Amino acid sequence: MLFSFISNAALAQSDSIQKPFNHKLSGIIKDKGTGEALPFAIIQLKGTTTGVTSNVDGYFSLTNIPADTSTIVVSYPGYSATEIQLKPGQATTDFKIEMLPAAKQLKEVTVSAEREDVMLVDRSNVSMIKMTPKKLEQLPNIGEKDILRAFQLMPGISSSNESSSGLYVRGGTPDQNLVLYDGFTVYHVDHLYGFYSAFNSNALKDVQLYKGGFESKFGGRLSSVTEITGKDGNQNKFNVGADVSLLSFNVFAEVPIGDKFSSIVAFRRSYRGLLYNQIFGMFNATGGTAKAEGGRATTSTTVASFFYDVNGKFTYRPTKKDIISLSIYNGTDKLDNSSAATEQPISGSSSTFSNSSTDLTNYGNIGSSLKWSRRWNDKLYSNTIASYSNYYSDRNNSQTKSITDSLGATNTSSQGIFETNNLQDYSLKSDYQYDLKNNVQLQFGGFGTYYDIQYTYAQNDTVTILNKNNQAYLTGAYLQSKIDLLHNKIHFLPGIRASYFTTTNKMYYEPRASVAYNINDKITLKAATGLYYQFANRVTREDILAGSRDFWLLSGTNDVPVSSAMHYILGAAYENDNYLFSVEGYYKTLSNLTEYSLRFNPQQGSDVSYSENFFTGKGFSRGIEFLVQRKVGKIKGWVSYTLGQAQNLFPVYSTGYFPAAQDVTHEFKTVLLYKYKKWNFSATWVYATGRPYTAPSGAYNVTLLDGSQQSFYTVTAKNGQRLPAYHRADIAVNYSIFAGKKNRREIGYIGVSVFNVYNRTNVWYKQYSITNGQILQTNVNYLGITPNLTLSFKLR
Amino acid sequence: MKISMPKKPIFILAVLFLSMAVSCTKEDNTEFTDAAIIEAYLNDGHYFSLSVSRQIPFSDNVTYSSDDINNLSIAINYNGSTHTLTPLGNGQYSDSTIVINQGNVYNLSFTFNNQNVTATTSIPAKPINFQQSVTGITVPPQVESHSGPTGTLPDPVELSWNNPDGSNYFVVIQNMETNPVPITTGATGQSDKTFRTPPTNLTVTEIRPLDFQYYGMHRLILYHVLPDYAALYATGNNSSQNLANPSTAITNGYGIFTGLNSDTLFIDVIHP
Repeated sequence: MLFSFISNAALAQSDSIQKPFNHKLSGIIKDKGTGEALPFAIIQLKGTTTGVTSNVDGYFSLTNIPADTSTIVVSYPGYSATEIQLKPGQATTDFKIEMLPAAKQLKEVTVSAEREDVMLVDRSNVSMIKMTPKKLEQLPNIGEKDILRAFQLMPGISSSNESSSGLYVRGGTPDQNLVLYDGFTVYHVDHLYGFYSAFNSNALKDVQLYKGGFESKFGGRLSSVTEITGKDGNQNKFNVGADVSLLSFNVFAEVPIGDKFSSIVAFRRSYRGLLYNQIFGMFNATGGTAKAEGGRATTSTTVASFFYDVNGKFTYRPTKKDIISLSIYNGTDKLDNSSAATEQPISGSSSTFSNSSTDLTNYGNIGSSLKWSRRWNDKLYSNTIASYSNYYSDRNNSQTKSITDSLGATNTSSQGIFETNNLQDYSLKSDYQYDLKNNVQLQFGGFGTYYDIQYTYAQNDTVTILNKNNQAYLTGAYLQSKIDLLHNKIHFLPGIRASYFTTTNKMYYEPRASVAYNINDKITLKAATGLYYQFANRVTREDILAGSRDFWLLSGTNDVPVSSAMHYILGAAYENDNYLFSVEGYYKTLSNLTEYSLRFNPQQGSDVSYSENFFTGKGFSRGIEFLVQRKVGKIKGWVSYTLGQAQNLFPVYSTGYFPAAQDVTHEFKTVLLYKYKKWNFSATWVYATGRPYTAPSGAYNVTLLDGSQQSFYTVTAKNGQRLPAYHRADIAVNYSIFAGKKNRREIGYIGVSVFNVYNRTNVWYKQYSITNGQILQTNVNYLGITPNLTLSFKLR
Repeated sequence: MKISMPKKPIFILAVLFLSMAVSCTKEDNTEFTDAAIIEAYLNDGHYFSLSVSRQIPFSDNVTYSSDDINNLSIAINYNGSTHTLTPLGNGQYSDSTIVINQGNVYNLSFTFNNQNVTATTSIPAKPINFQQSVTGITVPPQVESHSGPTGTLPDPVELSWNNPDGSNYFVVIQNMETNPVPITTGATGQSDKTFRTPPTNLTVTEIRPLDFQYYGMHRLILYHVLPDYAALYATGNNSSQNLANPSTAITNGYGIFTGLNSDTLFIDVIHP
């Protein structure tokens, strides 16, 4: 393949032998070292707004090129932006562009603008952020470089949920975010109480996040889409690598066989080493100091557990046109959140309480996809995926309380929760893209999913309160078109998605559209709207005393209706060589939200039927996001601010709107990256308004007809309380290690990271237990100051 | 490549946003709402009476409304006429001109803490055909901490009534003696003179011989109650999983406001 790097674009302009070349260039974008195809890279004609993105397998097709000496710019996060000047007579199909990872960029290689983004906000796409794990280690971490954590540093994505890797995007909940990993849906992305995501960044190649207004190609979710592409494995040479941190060890191997087969297997497991325990114990007193506040006694719980996951991907390229790949994922968590406390309340009797609780949860995901991609010709490309995804969760929470009264008599009582959730998703889908004209690309496809979702919930001994077991088919098709108008100044993407859901026996139509208008090569205006349906929902089970939990249920029944959302997005961006300024406003309405609560009694009949305790409501979220990013130079980074509101209306709770559990008013984030020789320094600071919660507020007694007294408790207005504001600073420093004299390459790094530098006590949630009219409040806190050391090595 | 570092815009924006963020974190203190607790059983044939109290807050730092719970203006409306209850002190209110009648609907309303507290209930029908299997039962004396009962126990007492619509019934059993003799000797504490059977929507319930704690004459009161009262027992063991508001008949308040009807039989528990 012939191509050249050029550092001076002026050279292109001075070239006098230009020929008309008003057609297209198609080919593939790859990593020069590993041969990995680079998905969703941006290919643009320099100095214009004409551009395309490569597809999931790295293929692209750029049209309307004015001259055979034009310069094209290829950008991809984690890689140096590459400029290529076309040469007359060069091949215009099967054009191979090889990009260099930013770290390998050396002086002798002439590369263009010195951009090596950790994160890329695509100016021309509405509400889209793109990231590769390549530069992820530069950001501070708590033991694992984590791609979903990194997204939480961007505007519109809540950063105050340490306990959720699942993303809260624009006032949406994590279940409203579709997570696709190599084509299969991942239903639960949390490891270790959500402090780490289920995705091992050593096995990932690319992640795209659509914060809203996403295209018709994606469906089944109300808020957002996270599309993750796994690595295919080094196509040129055997490679092996390992990371060791204070939290986990992580190994991977990449094995190519011939030039047609490549593979990668990655495994990681957390451990609680001596150093980990020592550091952890130093800053987190367990059980510890009871602080009594007028009849409340406070104690704290520190969390402990382990997880492992394994990723494998095997790719075979039988011909130049076909790619067949098998991707497998399994991750499992075993969590132990047990605690014990003995407290003596200030007011009231001289009774003492002792309270021990067992809280064990096992959960995990098994997912797999088999994908066949084919480039039929220069115009038609197809992707067919058969996939299976299973999420399982098993929770056993039992509490033993004993009360010693003033006479010395001890009364012991036990209670428990037994909760299991099992979701299976069998899917088949086929996506096509067809270049109809130079400026029109059709995208269409069909899909079918069989859902099998079970949930059981038992309270106290073995009394089953809820037992749901539902199956359904969801089938449908979509059609969308990427249209470039007014000499590529306007990118218009209308589409429609139609689904048939067997539970309701109904068709669902979802029209959507987005438009980006490039006023010039620096300023873009954007807008998007669309209708979205969700057929499997994670329902919140309200639990004021022990913390609310979620479970997956199939929608479409009377209890849990199919939910829907409308998105309205407006935005503008200004981008020059050094800075990106972006502002986006969103408004989203949500219908048929479901919550489960045992706080309300059925009105009719004496048999208490708990299946009646599903409540339906609606909601909205709105907000405005600001982002300023400095893209080049020794000091880089970004500052973002989001003003947001997420409110729900459930008639059972109140007559008016109340703040949704994920409502955060202000969120400010800043990320600074500084590079000095082989050293990379980074610092982040986040500030977010505390999240709302509901608390027990008081007690009263009712004298029954048999003369006995019964105690009852009242709660505050639904989500009427706010946790204290969340804020935290993290810092990190990495030292890169290079090998080889002539052909220097980065083979690893040593990283030191400090999470929560100033040891802010951020409250996760509050737990309560009520005994003899006294309330015992436990603050479950997030991590205090947590240092981490990472050693990372790889062969190449 | 050397590029100058114009950090100022970022810095200024950072300061601006930060000051906005810090200055806008005021929250309403809605931790505790001073709400009225109502207790009223509207028993067919009885005078109207109720009590109003306050809930006990979990926090010390609460503000109570200035309303005096001993001097509220509580209106009762039924059959198109409205009555204002007479305060008796200590949160008690009554009106001896109102005699509760089966089939009527009673509405309550008053203002507390700037909120309009309302409640409504109807009076269920008097139990029909309340019958007992025996009018006397002989129970041998028992000794505490003995393994198993002493002597031969008689069959349980069976109580029955008509219940064509499957509504809610339960029985309260009261010992009527002033100084009753306990059936079991050697027990540490003192047993209650009153106990109940679980609420049911069937037509029958039974009392086992050792449910009785004392010898002597007992009153058997069969209550016909509404679902909201039965729910008090359903949520009786208020667990850590839920904080149930037992009554759905009251708005802007808590407690119980429920109509009921009853019939009474008697049984003698005999020392052999």
